[in-house]
Amino acid sequence: MDKPLILVESITYAIKGRDILNRNGFRATIQKIIKNKELKGCGYAIYVKERADEAADFLNKSGIKVVSRTDWGH
Amino acid sequence: MVYLDNAATTFPKPQMVTKAILNSIIRQGANPGRSGHKMSIETAMQVYNCRDTISNFFGAHGPEDVIFTLNCTMAINMVIKGLLKPDDHVIISCLEHNAVVRPLNALKKFGITYTVAQVYPCNNDATLDSFRKAINDKTSLIICTHASNVWGIRLPIARITALAHEYNIPVLVDAAQSAGHLPIDMKELKIDYLCAAGHKGLYGPMGTGILITNKGKNLTTIIEGGTGTNSQSYMQPEMSPEKFESGTPNVPGIIGLNAGINFIKKTKIERISTHEYNIINYLYNKLSCMDNIILYMPKPDPKHFVPLLSFNIKGMSSEKVAAYLDKNNIYVRAGLHCAPLAHQFANTIDSGAVRICPSFFTKLSDIDLLLLSIKKLTSNS
Repeated sequence: MDKPLILVESITYAIKGRDILNRNGFRATIQKIIKNKELKGCGYAIYVKERADEAADFLNKSGIKVVSRTDWGH
Repeated sequence: MVYLDNAATTFPKPQMVTKAILNSIIRQGANPGRSGHKMSIETAMQVYNCRDTISNFFGAHGPEDVIFTLNCTMAINMVIKGLLKPDDHVIISCLEHNAVVRPLNALKKFGITYTVAQVYPCNNDATLDSFRKAINDKTSLIICTHASNVWGIRLPIARITALAHEYNIPVLVDAAQSAGHLPIDMKELKIDYLCAAGHKGLYGPMGTGILITNKGKNLTTIIEGGTGTNSQSYMQPEMSPEKFESGTPNVPGIIGLNAGINFIKKTKIERISTHEYNIINYLYNKLSCMDNIILYMPKPDPKHFVPLLSFNIKGMSSEKVAAYLDKNNIYVRAGLHCAPLAHQFANTIDSGAVRICPSFFTKLSDIDLLLLSIKKLTSNS
């Protein structure tokens, strides 16, 4: 099954984003991603199993820039 | 052994610091944010936890504003060399450490100049006037120590930042001697760049320092390299803290620093500082009754001083006093304390001074042993 992943600018922001989401009713974890040329970001992603679109919006509103999205993980 | 050199580095460290460092070497031995395996991510989490602890402790805007450095000197250099442009003017206090004075002198070749503002102990209005008079249209940065590493004098940081911001001038505060001794809230004090040592009042290990700022975008980097992120790019990342943290970080040190700050939070900073003021005022009262002792400052009240003092024995070099105390297993620091400017201020540039700085672990009986040695030395001289 594909994993909805949210890519941010650094591992610091990935951890901060995970904590913000978990404090606000989402279930988020950190995931190392297998990178390719098209995939922007720091190499770490926030995995949100459910409500990923809502979680990405929430991160942007919380000052954490979402660099890209993917459903591809490992 | 009596250790009274806590302004250089605190000793001993709390047990929880030692345990955390040992545990990090055993359990968090991977490179954080690099390899991506579970231990690497777990280590990155521990580093992040420390950023979060520091951010909360100093009232920063967020953990991403906490940049780990080797020491306070490196943090100060990162701001001075990352912010200033040719022909800029800087104001510093007359109590600054060489961590400030030497980088500024190194930048003189680029036309960067600085003015030294006089500090008036216990007279914050006069001190503020000195800073105000030194401002000109090229002033781009004000640097001031929060507390002198030689005389313990506190500077009125909130008033200096308010003055500086009227002119849109950012302020760098050197908190090497105040962090862990005094509560510091960056948002309340409106500090732009806070630099601190991790191994002094914060009880972390040596090799740790911090720069806290939400103005990292205004700084160019003084070191670039691998950050574990965006490895395909030849360009340095622009986001803080990674922008400023190239190379493998000092993970055991960072985890130890986290434990040191947690020790302060658990013990309560007010309890720590009350204990240290009791110790230093006990010493001050005793020294002030002794013949041949020169005390340069008033009694260190918390409003105007941090808990440390420096003194001399009439007719004796400070180095000789420290050597005698060392023979009696009492460890202090004499000389100029890397702060010749602060010694010029008190006319002790030739003699230096003997500095005493307690920590939470110092006992009154330690001070009694110090006093006994000083009495013996003065009676023999």
